[in-house]
Amino acid sequence: MLLRKLLTARSHHLLRRWASTDPLCFQNEKLQAYLESLRQEYYALRVNAAGNSSLYARLSRLDPVVNSLEKHRALQRNITPEQDLAAEKDEDMRALMLEENNVYAELLRKQEEAMLQELLALADHEDYPSLIFEVNAGAGGQEAMLFAQELYDMYTSYFEHMGWEYEQYAHETTDIGGLRYANLLVNDPEAYNWLRYEAGVHRVQRVPATEKSGRMHTSTASITVIPRPADVQVHIAERDLKIETKRASGAGGQHVNTTDSAVRIVHLPTGLAVESQSERSQLKNRELALKRLQAKLMQQQLESSEATKQATRKAQQGNLNRNEKIRTYNFVQDRVTDHRVQQGGTQHNLSGFLEGGQPLSDLIERLHLEQRKLKLVELIEEWQPPQKASDKS
Amino acid sequence: MLKYLARPLLTATRSATRSLCSNLSGSSTKTTTTSPTSTTGGPLIEVNQAINGWADKLKAAGIQDTEFNIKCIVSHVLNRKFNTVPDDFTQLKFSSEQLANFERFLEARCARMPLQHIIGEWDFMDITLKTAPTVFIPRPETEEFVRLVIENYRQAKHVNMLEVGCGSGAMSLSVLHALPQVEATAIERSKVATVLAWENANLLGLQDRFKVHNHTMEEDNYMPTELQDKQYDLIISNPPYVKTEEFQFLHPEVVVYENLNALDGGSDGLRVARLVFDLACRHLRPGGKLWLELGNEHPPLVKTIMNLKYQGRLNFVGSYFDQYKRERFVQLEKV
Repeated sequence: MLLRKLLTARSHHLLRRWASTDPLCFQNEKLQAYLESLRQEYYALRVNAAGNSSLYARLSRLDPVVNSLEKHRALQRNITPEQDLAAEKDEDMRALMLEENNVYAELLRKQEEAMLQELLALADHEDYPSLIFEVNAGAGGQEAMLFAQELYDMYTSYFEHMGWEYEQYAHETTDIGGLRYANLLVNDPEAYNWLRYEAGVHRVQRVPATEKSGRMHTSTASITVIPRPADVQVHIAERDLKIETKRASGAGGQHVNTTDSAVRIVHLPTGLAVESQSERSQLKNRELALKRLQAKLMQQQLESSEATKQATRKAQQGNLNRNEKIRTYNFVQDRVTDHRVQQGGTQHNLSGFLEGGQPLSDLIERLHLEQRKLKLVELIEEWQPPQKASDKS
Repeated sequence: MLKYLARPLLTATRSATRSLCSNLSGSSTKTTTTSPTSTTGGPLIEVNQAINGWADKLKAAGIQDTEFNIKCIVSHVLNRKFNTVPDDFTQLKFSSEQLANFERFLEARCARMPLQHIIGEWDFMDITLKTAPTVFIPRPETEEFVRLVIENYRQAKHVNMLEVGCGSGAMSLSVLHALPQVEATAIERSKVATVLAWENANLLGLQDRFKVHNHTMEEDNYMPTELQDKQYDLIISNPPYVKTEEFQFLHPEVVVYENLNALDGGSDGLRVARLVFDLACRHLRPGGKLWLELGNEHPPLVKTIMNLKYQGRLNFVGSYFDQYKRERFVQLEKV
C-alpha cells in the first residue's frame, strides 16, 4: 500500500493500474472526504427518502458504494497499527502480525478496486431509455458511402451482440451498395452509456473498390449519438398534416393514368415539410415521408430539450468532440487505431473488428473505463466538502 | 416496328400497340440477360448524357412528370430496383444495347403508352405486380382503398374474401400479403387478366390462399357454377365506373391502351356496380361487408339506391375519402 503512494499522478494512462492515479488513490484525503460525504448522504436518505422515487433512485445507486466503503473500513480495523507492532516484544508474535497484515493489505487492495468500480459507475451514470444513432458518410464520395455502410453493418451487429433493440428511422443507400445516411433508434437504457464514446469521425484508409489506378484513399464517416430523454415523445395528429401529391385535380381514379408517386407532407403546427419520391408506390412514399417527419420532429424536440442539451454538451467534452477524428481503420495494414487510447490503441484483424462482436465491445469497454475515470477525477477535484468537514471516524 | 415508334402521338391503333408491346417486352428480357456482359464490353454511355433532351420531348408529347418517367425507364433498362437508382444518375452508364432500348422505350412513352406497360411491372402497396397490355393498371387511389380495407380487418380472426373483377390481382394480393388470416377467391372476365393474376400470385408466393376463376358476371349468372352456393365474409371490388359520356375526356394512355371493359360503367357509371350489389345479396353471409371503389359522385347515389331498392338486403354503412379528399369509397353490409 505504501508503495503505491510513490507512483506519480501522471501514470493514469496506464489503464490497468488505475489505482495509482493520485486523486483516485485511497490515501487521497479529498477522496476520503468525498466517500464519507456519500456515506452520510446515504444514511440521511434512508431516513428521508420515503415515497420519493428520485431519492430512491439515488439511494439505490449509493448503496453499492457505501456497502463497499464499510467493508473496507471493517477490513482496515483488522490491521495491526504500527505502534502496536513496535510495542510487541515477542519476535514470533510480531512475525505473525506482519504476515496477517500482509493478507489484510491484499484484501484491502481488492476491496478498494471494487469500490472504485462502484464509484466510477456512480460518476457518470445517466439514464436515457433510448438514443438516436446516426451514421453519415463524410468526405470521400462513393468510397465514403461504402465505408459508411460497413460502419452501419458493424454497429447493427454490435447492437445485436449486446442484445439491444433497434429500429431504423431513415436510410438512404446508393446504387453501388453505399450508404448516404442512416438514423437508428436504439431502445436500451444501457446503450447510451456505451455508445456515447463512438460519436465522432471515423476514418478509413484503403484502396477503394471504386479506384482504378490502385492509389490509397482516406475517407471518413461520422457517427452521432443523441440521447433521447424519457419525456420526449412525438405524436402526429392526422388533422395536423397536409399531404400533397402532384395529382390533386381532375376526376382521378380510372379516368386518368398519371404515375407520379412523389409525396410531400407539411406538418402544419411546426411548418416542417418532408418529401419522398424514392418509391414507385405512392402509399409507400407516404409512409416513408411520415417516418421522416417523425424523425425530424423527434430531432427538433430533442434539440430543444434541456436535458439533451446538457447531455450533448457533456458528450462533446474533451476527446469526445463530434468533429474530432476518433478512430482509423487502415485496411492496407489490417489495423484499427483508436486515437483516444494513448497506449495499445491499435489492434489488428480489421475484418474481425468490423464484425461488431467482441473486439469492438472490448475497445468500447476500455474507452468507457478510461472516460469514467477522467470524469471521476474531475468530480472529486471539483467537489467541495460541506461547511462542517466530515469527521474522520 | 420502328415506323410505329417514330410516329408522334395517338395515331397508333390498338392492334399496333399490342404488337409493339410484345416486341418491347421481348427485347426487355433480352436486355436483362445480356446486361452483365455488355456493361463490361463495348462502349459505355453516361446515363446523364443519354437523357439529354428527352424531358422536353416528353413534355411536348403532353406528359407531366418527366423526371419520374425517365427514372423509371432508366432503372428498368439497367435492371435495377427503382429505389436504388440515384436521382442524379451519377456514375450510371448504358451499354449501346441498353441505350437503344432506353430510346425505344421513351419513344413509346412519347406515343403515350402507359409507363407501367413499358416497364412490364408496377409497385402496388408493398408488392410488385407484373402488368400486361390489356389488363387494367391499378391506380394510386386504389392503394388508399386497400389500406382502408386492411385496417378494418387487421384484428379479424379469419376472413373469407371474394374480389369481383381482380384484373392483375393487385387488391386481393396486397390484402393477402398484409393479412395472413385472409383467404381470397377472385372472379375475372378477361382470360389474359385471369392468367396474369394467377401468375402474380405465384410470383408473390401467395398461391396457396388465392384462387381465380375466369367468369363473366351477368344477371342471374353471377358466379361460376362451382362457387354457386358459396358465402363470403367480405367482398371487394373496383368495378368499371367511368360514365360512357366521360370517355371523350380520358387521357390517351387510358383510352388508347387500356381495356375499356375495365372502365365502362354505363350511362351513370354504376351498371357493373349494380350487378355486384345483386351478387353480394346472394353471396355475402349475414353481417358480411361489401367494399367498393367508385367514382366521384357515386357514394350519395349508392346510398339512395340502397334505401330504395335493397332495403332488408343491403345496408349503406358509410362512405370514405381517397387521399385527394374525394368521396369515392363505400362500405355496405348484408342484413
